[in-house]
Parts: sequence; structure tokens; C-alpha cells
Amino acid sequence: MKNDNINHAAAAAAFLQDREQARWHDSAIWWVRQKRDMQAKQLPEWEQLRALAQQIKAHTLSRLDDYLQQFQANAEKNGVTVHWAADADEHNRIVHGILAAEGVKKLVKSKSMLTEECGLNPYLEQHGIEVIDTDLGERIVQLRQEPPSHIVMPAIHLKKEQISELFHRELGTEAGNNDPTYLTHAARANLREHFLTADAGLTGVNFAIAETGGVVVCTNEGNADLGTALPPIHIASMGLEKIIPRLEHLGVFTRLLARSAIGSPITTYTSHFHRARPGGQMHIVIVDNGRSDILGNDDFYQSLRCIRCGACMNTCPVYRRSTGHSYSYIIPGPIGSTLGPSRDIKKHGSMAFACTTCGSCSNVCPVKINLHEQLVLQRKRAFDAGTLKPAKKMGLLAMRFLTQHPSLMDAGGKVMRKVVPIVPDSLTRHSAWSRPGRALPEMPEQSFKEMWQARQEKKS
Amino acid sequence: MKVALFIPCFVNDLYPHVAMATAELLEGYGVDVHYPLAQSCCGQPLSNNGDSQGACDAARRFTGIFKDYDYVVSPSGSCTAHVKHHYPWYIADNADYQALQPRIYEIVEFLQDVLKVEKLPKPVYFPHTVSIHQSCHGLRELGHAAPSELMIPYHSRLERILQLVDGIEIKQPERRDECCGFGGTFSVDEPEVSVAMGEDRVAQHEATGAQYIVGADPSCLMHMGGIIRHRCRPIRPLHIVEILTGRGGAA
Amino acid sequence: MSSREQILARLRQNRPQGPALPDIDAVPFITFDDKFDAFRTLVRNLGGDAVQLADGDSVLGVVQQRWPQHGRLVDLTVENHEESPSPHAWHDVDVAIVPGELAVAESAAVWVSHADNQWRSIYFLTQKLVLVVPRDAIVDTMRDAYRRIAIREQGFGGFISGSSRTADIEQSLVMGAHGAMAALVVFV
Ligand code: SF4
Repeated sequence: MKNDNINHAAAAAAFLQDREQARWHDSAIWWVRQKRDMQAKQLPEWEQLRALAQQIKAHTLSRLDDYLQQFQANAEKNGVTVHWAADADEHNRIVHGILAAEGVKKLVKSKSMLTEECGLNPYLEQHGIEVIDTDLGERIVQLRQEPPSHIVMPAIHLKKEQISELFHRELGTEAGNNDPTYLTHAARANLREHFLTADAGLTGVNFAIAETGGVVVCTNEGNADLGTALPPIHIASMGLEKIIPRLEHLGVFTRLLARSAIGSPITTYTSHFHRARPGGQMHIVIVDNGRSDILGNDDFYQSLRCIRCGACMNTCPVYRRSTGHSYSYIIPGPIGSTLGPSRDIKKHGSMAFACTTCGSCSNVCPVKINLHEQLVLQRKRAFDAGTLKPAKKMGLLAMRFLTQHPSLMDAGGKVMRKVVPIVPDSLTRHSAWSRPGRALPEMPEQSFKEMWQARQEKKS
Repeated sequence: MKVALFIPCFVNDLYPHVAMATAELLEGYGVDVHYPLAQSCCGQPLSNNGDSQGACDAARRFTGIFKDYDYVVSPSGSCTAHVKHHYPWYIADNADYQALQPRIYEIVEFLQDVLKVEKLPKPVYFPHTVSIHQSCHGLRELGHAAPSELMIPYHSRLERILQLVDGIEIKQPERRDECCGFGGTFSVDEPEVSVAMGEDRVAQHEATGAQYIVGADPSCLMHMGGIIRHRCRPIRPLHIVEILTGRGGAA
Repeated sequence: MSSREQILARLRQNRPQGPALPDIDAVPFITFDDKFDAFRTLVRNLGGDAVQLADGDSVLGVVQQRWPQHGRLVDLTVENHEESPSPHAWHDVDVAIVPGELAVAESAAVWVSHADNQWRSIYFLTQKLVLVVPRDAIVDTMRDAYRRIAIREQGFGGFISGSSRTADIEQSLVMGAHGAMAALVVFV
């Protein structure tokens, strides 16, 4: 679970102390953006594909209740048990109830941001159930007891040396062997044992098909498949916005997801689950946890189109230079910075300001969410909720006043132009502008208004 | 044709020569240029920090001042984008604004789309290498160029208009349109991230071998300029109107 | 009111406006002149390979040639194929030969959904996965594929593209994360 008190600016400043690591983080993730570009460029229909995805999702959101009911009816026809959870607590209780009824001791999990959102792992552990995250990146952060820093690449904030040390300690790998292949295969051997001995498997859901009542899970590692093919119980936890109307719509979304997420034409495994394995049980837990409220908000409901590809993080210049751990909400980056504040503006207000409004996120988003605009709109809520620091709020109110009184603004500008050049460096060096290594602008003699007026006088 | 200059507040105070170059450029094409003295800040900093009341008042004020001109032209992509694309958040129903909105232009757009210029008012010889800085709001909100994220045919207004300058060599930095990190009040709310982004951007512009970073947004140029000055680097930021009027490099 | 009723009521009340469902066939998607060639080029970058079976050759022959030293081999493409008492009992399979119904050129993916296989775990436990696909069952894009697939195998079906992989350690691509270390697609 994440600490809600993280302030983005402060956490990012701390991360940037190690510029070399920060540079590596920036370029490693930028490379994923470039791979996305290369894939997108190969499809002449890319922009039309995004438009189709946007329309399908927008349509679905306008009749979400209908599609969810259709989904439930079809899933039940397939023998799947469908549960509804109003919030995180109810989700955790439902999952625990299913596991407890069957005496499950060990649960293998594949990647699910929803269970991170709900805090499922600590809940189950408190109830004596061993939870093994099986996505390699998730396993790494689980062993380090920290939250994922990215929704697709959970351990992207770590260097291989750190992972080698961790695996040496936890899995008994050779000390100092930092080879990613060696480390990955060591984790493979270790996790195979867990797959073969687990009593239940839990997956997230990428898409839930109303027409067939099935769910689709996409992974590159195959962990969701092993986790559901071996143990007799499969629980799929899904946010209620994961619905798509028809199977054929996967012909749009599977073309966009991996290309946007990792710059691959598709994930290795795109698995469609419609029933339990023979002799087993399959459960689907549909979770609201604040989503139905977002649906009712004109400014933000579009954020429910998200397919969690992570492309907006990869392109975000602020995310790349601050890591996911600098954001207070479990989902970082642009999409997290609208979802987090939607959930709780007081806790996650700082996220809405961790953005230059460059707009790159909205352009890479495969479902065309107006992310950068939503962030500005979240700031309105932050302002109204009184979460701005007092000094900042005062500054804005002063600015508001000056905007209406340009003669005062002109006077202020004049003072600035006279004073700044003669203030000793030692006074300005610690200002937020100058502190990190940025000089103040050179001050001209006159404002444009003064120059213009002089020019007009000369003319007449 | 009565054209009003919209000179953003910080340009008025800190970059008067950019504003003057804009006026002279327009006059060079025979345009009747006006500068309404009552103008002040367009309210973008208020809007970007969630002060909707302040932003709304600023939008009304702006509309009242500019509504009677044929066109409003500004040398800042970001401020133009705010008044053209974000004012509707606050005053979408205002009839004066609705009538004014389509007549608001950023200077390069105005030259290309309204005046349809094919040469400069007087020939300019600028025998230097410049690296193009695509500022985000000009790029992604006004459509100054094809953003690298979108799979659409490449075009670039800045590159196109610089073709009218003799002797110039035009380069593009690696990551051709990544944000420089200014972001208005972001620059002081998150100064470390802002400067880290700016340092990377300056280094990428320098790596092209250019002597100048050329852009259409004084705010980004101010931010990168501050980093350049702090580090005593030789590359210089330059607003595109300074080149088009033949004043580039004089400062 | 149960959570279900509450959630549905709120969703109904909060319904935003939305467009009609678009016609996904209205947009022309990419096509390939040589689908097999596109498939093969791609799958080779994804930890796999693809071959067209030459006259007189057999799938088993191709497998023997590629992995002469292989361990336990299970062939699900034959009638009365081997069965396993439990999904776990496939854990020591080295080579699994399985029927693939359809191949997709744009993604090097093969649709797998066996009509009468009991335990799908074999696809993911095996070290080497051999997918046998009819030569003419190859389409351009995923849209074409979704028109033609059927979900059988106790409600399971999946697209498999190349071998299991991860880049979770410093973005270095490693083959063999949890599933097959190698994938071979044989067009027959
Ligand atoms: S908001 Fe868009 S880009 Fe970001 S994760 Fe969601 S779908 Fe991907």
C-alpha cells in the first residue's frame, strides 16, 4: 500500500538528487515510448483505430448498467459466479470469503492494479493466506515490500544490481550475478514451485465481454495462465469499467493495448476465460469503489475509458523524471493524476499539479482521454477544496486582483525591472526559480507598454 | 484591417523587444496595428491553478477589450491557446467571445493563414544554425506542427516560415517535441523537475550544433534561457519574430 | 439494497451521453501481400520461429531436427492423444505439439482452443511449444481473427504469440518468463 501523504514536488526533488539514476529512468522509459511510436507508425489506420476504441468505450459508458447485467447473465450461463463489490473492503471480504470456504492457504496472483487499489494483499495476509505475486516485476516489489512504480513495468525504478541483491537474499541466487537472464530464470524456477502448489489463482481483467460473459487477460509472461490452469479456483477481479459490448471489439482493443503499452504488436498471451477448469470454480468480482461517482462527473467520466496501457506514463516528461513513487495514488502518472484526485482531492491534490500541461499524454492515449485537460480541471477542485498551500493561494488571489488592475501590475513590473538587477545573488539564489540552477531573466529598461507609448508620441 | 496586439503580461515586462518585433513585422505587411493599453494577464496562471473565478473574470475582461478588432494577434503560443481553447471552460456562452474566438491568432498562424505571406517584408540573411523548439501549447493545442505522438503527415509551421530566411540552417533536437519543463507556475511549484527537464532540453538543442534555439513561445525561451545563463552556455534562445524581422542575433 | 442493486442504480442515474457503437469494419485495416512472410519475420523477433512444412516432411520430423535431444514429448494433434490425470502432471513436458486453429499476420499470434483437451496447463508448462496451423488459416489482422475463432476447451481460448517473455529487469528482454522458452509455428 502507498503512503497517502506523499507530496509530488518534494518526493520528485528527492528522486532527482541522484541524477544518474534519474537519467537512466528517463531514458529507459523513453525507449518504451519510442517502441510504441515504431509500432503505431506501421499501421496506416492508427489514428482511426484510436477513434474506434474511443467510440466503443464512450458508447459502453453511456449504458454501463445494461452491459454489466448482460455480462453477468452470460457469465452465469457459463457456470461462473459473479459478485458485486461496492468498495475495496467489500472486494477484499468477498475474495477472502471464497478462499476461506475452500480452505485456501496459498494464492498466486497475476498483475492487477485493482487489487493494489483495494489493498488485497495485506488483507489476505492478515487472515493467514499466503499471497504470491507472480508477474516478475510485481514479485520484485512484493519482496521489497513496496508498491509498484508503474502499472505495466512495476519495477522500472530499480537497477539490476538492486534486484540481484534482493534475489540473493530472498531466493538464494549467486551474489553479484546481475545478469537479467540469470535472475529471470531463477525467479521462474522459484515461482513454478508456487504455481504447482497454489490452491487458488487470482487475475485482473483487461476486458470483460458482455456478449459472451467471458474475461480476457493479457500477459507476456504467462503467469495469469499458469495461475488459472493449475489451481482449481480462479478469481478474476475487475473494475466495472472493463466491459466491452462484443467479442469483435477485441479486434480493436487487442490491436491497441500492447502496441501502446510496450511497443509490441500483441502480448504473448491473450487468454479468454469463460468457465472454470474441469472440477474447479471460477468467480468474477465486479468492483465499483468510486467508479460510479466518476461516471456522474461531466469533467472526469472520460477517465473511465482507460485500458491501463501505461503509455501516458511513458510519455510523461514529469513521470519519467520523478518515478511512480513520487505520486501519492497507487496509479501514478497522468491517468493516476486524474483518478487519484477524483477519489480524494485532499489526499491526492498534489498530483494534479505534477504536470506542465504539455498534452503529450492525451495524444498517446489509445482511447483518447483528455488527460492534460482533466488535470487542470482537477486543480479547480483542489483550489475549491482549499488544498493549496496558503502562500500559493495568496499569490493567486493577488494575481487575480492585478489582472483586473493593470496599472498596478505595470507598477509592479517596473519595480521588478529596477530592483532585480541590483539585488545581490545571495538573496535570489534560494528562490524556487533559481535554487535548482536557473538564472533570472535579464531585465529590460522599459516595458513594451512604455516603449509603445513613446513610439506613438513620436509618431504624432 | 485593424489588428490588436495581445501581449502577454510577462512579455510586456520582460521581453518588450519581442512584442515590438511582432508589431513591426505586422506593420511591414501593411497591417494597421493597435495595442489596447488596458490589457493585462489573460488569466492562464489562474486557470492552471484552479482559480476559476479569477480565470473567468480575466476571460470576460479580455473579451471586452479585444472584441471590436478584426483580429487579435499574439507572439505567445501558450497564451493564445489559453484564450482560444480554454476560455470556453469559463465563458462559452458569452456572445462577444463566440464572435471573437475565431479571430484570435498566434503570430505565425496569422502570417500563414490570414496574410498568406510568401516572403518577408524585407529580406533577411541569417547565416546560422537554429534548433527548433516546439512549445507544447503551440504544438498540441494550436497545431503548429504534427506532434510526434500522432501518426499524421509531418508538417511544421515554424520550419515552413523559416524557409523564407536566407542562409539559415534548420535542425531538430532529439525527441523533437518533448516539453522543456516550464509549465507556468509548475516551474516554481516543482522547480527541481522543471530544471531537470530544461537541462535535458537545452542539451538536446546544443547537440544539434545550433547557435540558437528558436521558438514561438517566450515563456519556454525564458526558462531555457535561465538555465543557459546559469550554466554559461553559448547557445542563445531566440523568438522567431526576432529572426523574421532581421533583428535576430543583435541582442 | 444489495451492492449490486446500489451500483446499478448509481450507474443508471449517472449515465453520460454516448455515441452509437461504431461500425468497426468501416475502417480499412492493414493487409499483407505475403502473410506467412510477415508472420515469420515478426515471430522471430518474439522468441519464436515459423516454417512451412515441405512435402514429405512431418511435424515430428521438424521437431526432431530442431531439438534432437528433447525430453518428454506430448502430441495433442493426433487422435486419441495422451491424457493427463491432473493439470499438474504436465509439469515435466519438454515439447508439446498442439493444434493451432488460426494464425494472425500482424501479431504473429496463433489461436489455441482445443475441442477435447482436458488440461490447458500444458500450453504454459511445456518448455517448448509447437503450434500446428493449417497453411491457409492465416489472416491479416486481429479483427479478421475475431470473426473466425470459436471458444471451446471448457470455455478457454487464447492467442499465443512467440514465447513467454519479460523485460521487468531494466527493460532487458528475456525469453522464458513463466511459460514456454521457445515457440515454433508449423504451417501444414
Ligand atoms: S489513460 Fe490512456 S494512455 Fe494512460 S493508461 Fe489509460 S489508456 Fe493508457
